[in-house]
Amino acid sequence: MGVGDPIGMAVAHAQASGMGGMRSAGDLVARVQLAKKLRLVEAKKYVADKIKVSVNELSDPVIMSEVRADLGFGIMMPLGGTPKGLECKFNMARVLDLEINCLKRFKRMAGL
Amino acid sequence: MSENIYEKASRAILEHDEELALETIKIHLDGGAEPMALMNEGFIVGISKVGDLFGSGKLFLPELMMSADVMLVASQALNESMPEGQQSGYAHVHITAATVKGDIHDIGKGIGIALFRANGFTVHDLGRDVDTDAMIDNAVKNGSKIIATSALLTTTLGEQKKLEDHLKKAGLKGQIKTMVAGAPVTPRWASRIGADIYAENAHEGVSGVINAVREG
Amino acid sequence: MTTINTRMGDGSPLAMSEDELRRDIDDGISQAVENASVAPLNKEEIEYLVELFKRPDRIVGVEPGKEIVLTYDAATLKIKRHALFEDRVNALAMYERLLGADTLELCHIDYSYKTLKPIVSYEQATLEQALSVTHSPMFYGAMPNLGLYTQPDGPFPNPMELLPMGRIAEGRAAYDSMVDAAVEDICFISEIMWESGADGINFDTVGASGDPDFKASLLAAEKLKAKYPDIAIEMGMAGEFVLGMHGEMWHEGVRLAGLYPLDQLKLAEKAGVTIFGPVVNTNANESVPWNLARTIAIIKPCGERATIPIHANMGMGVGAVPVTDYPPVDVVSRASKAMVELCRLDGL
Repeated sequence: MGVGDPIGMAVAHAQASGMGGMRSAGDLVARVQLAKKLRLVEAKKYVADKIKVSVNELSDPVIMSEVRADLGFGIMMPLGGTPKGLECKFNMARVLDLEINCLKRFKRMAGL
Repeated sequence: MSENIYEKASRAILEHDEELALETIKIHLDGGAEPMALMNEGFIVGISKVGDLFGSGKLFLPELMMSADVMLVASQALNESMPEGQQSGYAHVHITAATVKGDIHDIGKGIGIALFRANGFTVHDLGRDVDTDAMIDNAVKNGSKIIATSALLTTTLGEQKKLEDHLKKAGLKGQIKTMVAGAPVTPRWASRIGADIYAENAHEGVSGVINAVREG
Repeated sequence: MTTINTRMGDGSPLAMSEDELRRDIDDGISQAVENASVAPLNKEEIEYLVELFKRPDRIVGVEPGKEIVLTYDAATLKIKRHALFEDRVNALAMYERLLGADTLELCHIDYSYKTLKPIVSYEQATLEQALSVTHSPMFYGAMPNLGLYTQPDGPFPNPMELLPMGRIAEGRAAYDSMVDAAVEDICFISEIMWESGADGINFDTVGASGDPDFKASLLAAEKLKAKYPDIAIEMGMAGEFVLGMHGEMWHEGVRLAGLYPLDQLKLAEKAGVTIFGPVVNTNANESVPWNLARTIAIIKPCGERATIPIHANMGMGVGAVPVTDYPPVDVVSRASKAMVELCRLDGL
């Protein structure tokens, strides 16, 4: 989406039709779209199958926050001692069976 | 059904065929008909179609420019056949055009100017990033009835209001009319700042100016 | 008689009767059919739109299960527009963890590939930092912006000056040179950002300078895909049809000037683009129902026939969203819902 103040544009679209990003599984479905060029229905099914939830549950913030916490995918309000940032991306790559571009660089840079 | 003289004139513009335009004029004038009729029913219809086709992506800028050239030739040829003071077209209407101060976008302005010229107006293009007072000075010097501005950024829209304020201050508001255009420009904005003409696109800009000229 | 409260394309409030609403929807569809040579909406789709605008609700939304993912063109730039001079890494984290953004985009305030060249290593470092502390897929984005390649901003003569003088061959030659230079710049930046770990590259506002702009973007996508088969590229368009500034620019045997979204999509797919963002411009002189009906008629064929995800552009002034910096939720949510539910979109 494009120009407009975030309340009128980003928030309005997110509330009307968005999956909800890290509140649910929007970021994960977007990752699959990018990595596998899958259309929405296929991308949602791919993620749902991998994390063992129903397709409708992918957009549910209550269910998905729990699932994300269990899988170490990162949540909107992370506590100390929980995975964050790159750590979560490693978990996503493993569980979703995806290549995440920045992890390749991380391994290269860290000599892993 | 055979093509009548007006349709032929219109086609000459659409197909940017100068020879056909001049041939049409000769046949029309040799038959003793009114020069203005050929302009209004033929050439202007043609250039209007060109504008419509350009506005819907069915005709492109180089063709638009070529049609404009033929329109200019046709207007001049018809004008030469008419007594002084009764000339057709809008060549006597001068427009000063510019992209506002702080804005370097000139594609929309260029398209607008091409269509104004195609319709026979005399356009003074001041370029982009133009100071408000320079627009007014130039318009006064070249006798423009219209100052047309383009603003492509929400951050430069304010310059169009500045133009209205400066025209008022100089006592020129009303004598020189303003046309506003550009991606973030809306009828609401035009009315809020008191601009005389709002142009959603180049074609609408031409109709707006024609109406303003007719209204005086 | 029921009064329907909606808005004009510039956001001004507008009250209409049901007859006027139906007339506007029909007119919008007819305009789409005439201009873009698409099929009209069917009876059910028209009734859907009528009911949508008749609803008194301030905000509406898609049915559960139909939610889509959102891409945020130039997100970090928008924070600055609010005079919030937040560090961009933090701004991205805010989009992700305050606004729940599905994807992120790092961009520079000077949002053109050409102008990024001298500062690319700083952009690269910012991207690398941002990638380490965020979770959502991150694009690096900018515009091809061929307007910057003409004098005095660039090395080539300005075709907008040459064409009116009848120097059409010279104008076209300038465009040809601009395409080559832009492809080089787009690839230069994209390669570095991909190597730095971006999840995708966003070519934003493609076609803003007409057919040469689109040509450069298609060529750049092909070149990047050849070098990095896994690279993800989003191509978001600038307008509903490709402006014919050159007029004789072809790609894969197709003349680029005048192409409407479905034909643009086919070329984008062939070039290896991952996500395509079609656009329909909002007409500020018409009502939102008129604009929405027209937009859906034009975008729907893309959703139906795409083999790649479609993220329709729905920012200010496009996709039936009014041309205003402060888009009202009543019309934005209606446009959002209808576009998603009627066009088989994958995202916005």
